[in-house]
Amino acid sequence: MSVEDKLKQGPRDGISYPMQVVYCGNCSMPIEYCEYYPEYEKCKQWLEVNLPSEFEKVKIGDDNPVEEEKKRQKRGGKGMIKTKKKEDGPKQVYVSRAPRGKKKSVTVVTGLNSFDIDLKVAAKFFGTKFACGSSVTGDDEIVIQGDVKDDLFDVIPEKWPEIDEDLIEYLGDQKR
Amino acid sequence: MFKKFDEKDNVSSVLQLKSSVQKAIRVKLLESYPHLENFIDVVLPKKDSLRIIKCHDHIEIIVNSNGELLFFRQRDSQWMPTLKLFHKYPFFLPMHQVDKGAIRFVLSGANVMCPGLTSPGAKMTDVPTDTVVAIMAEGKEHALAIGKTALSSDDIAKVNKGIGIENCHYLNDGLWQMKPVK
Repeated sequence: MSVEDKLKQGPRDGISYPMQVVYCGNCSMPIEYCEYYPEYEKCKQWLEVNLPSEFEKVKIGDDNPVEEEKKRQKRGGKGMIKTKKKEDGPKQVYVSRAPRGKKKSVTVVTGLNSFDIDLKVAAKFFGTKFACGSSVTGDDEIVIQGDVKDDLFDVIPEKWPEIDEDLIEYLGDQKR
Repeated sequence: MFKKFDEKDNVSSVLQLKSSVQKAIRVKLLESYPHLENFIDVVLPKKDSLRIIKCHDHIEIIVNSNGELLFFRQRDSQWMPTLKLFHKYPFFLPMHQVDKGAIRFVLSGANVMCPGLTSPGAKMTDVPTDTVVAIMAEGKEHALAIGKTALSSDDIAKVNKGIGIENCHYLNDGLWQMKPVK
């Protein structure tokens, strides 16, 4: 395709829309732009694992990138893309019980956010599962009405396989 | 526009659109992007109920029933497609191509300067000022930003100084990072 053609408007023959664009799993951009991402190495690793064919193409494209980069002094500021810092805190779910009135209690679940779980969906799920009230009460907090902590240890790993039972910790009774 | 945009902080409300407003938007979109005509039913199905996300700084984003972000605008400006949408239908905007050196600046949110559009690696289509354009890059296949021309193509070539395209939405900015809204 010549350059003139590339900028032409209007749908092209022989291509069915919507087009599928492959995005990098690390930087979320189309693969061809990975090289402009500060964590290019991580992108390459991701490519190697997920799209080996694309990785080969990239490899052929740059033969001596490492040496070239060392020569140039790098400072932040000039056209540097900043990486969004992902919070890699300890991934852990905390379960605790808080009293509600004299003889009832509620269960507080925190830490689901670190697993990228939609809290609203999770709260709804708990509510239907335990047939009780369940709501999102804070940034990373779900309150389930009733004492369901024993069930939670089975239900959470079942619903979200990425959470192992060992990652759930029971904090005991806590004051509200 | 979306450099410091954050889904949590900047979204104020999500509204269901009335069907009359939906129709008006369709008409407006077709008016500004005539090339979309054969595909409008796929992009915005007639039966689909659209929603609008209102954000701070008078930004509005159209979302379809699946939660995909489709178009955005600030105040009463023209609707601009998000890059995710434009990557799927990469033909309905006029395109400007920047040279290789400009890519990393554009990707960190800078406006496109005229020299980046006039050098040998760059290409322009002939458009007036205030047109929504897709910013492509030398040697790359996909668009890397959506912008609005600050000068007409002729002026860019003539003046060759200062801002040529205002960068509105680029890869990895706040809007790009935004997850589908439920």
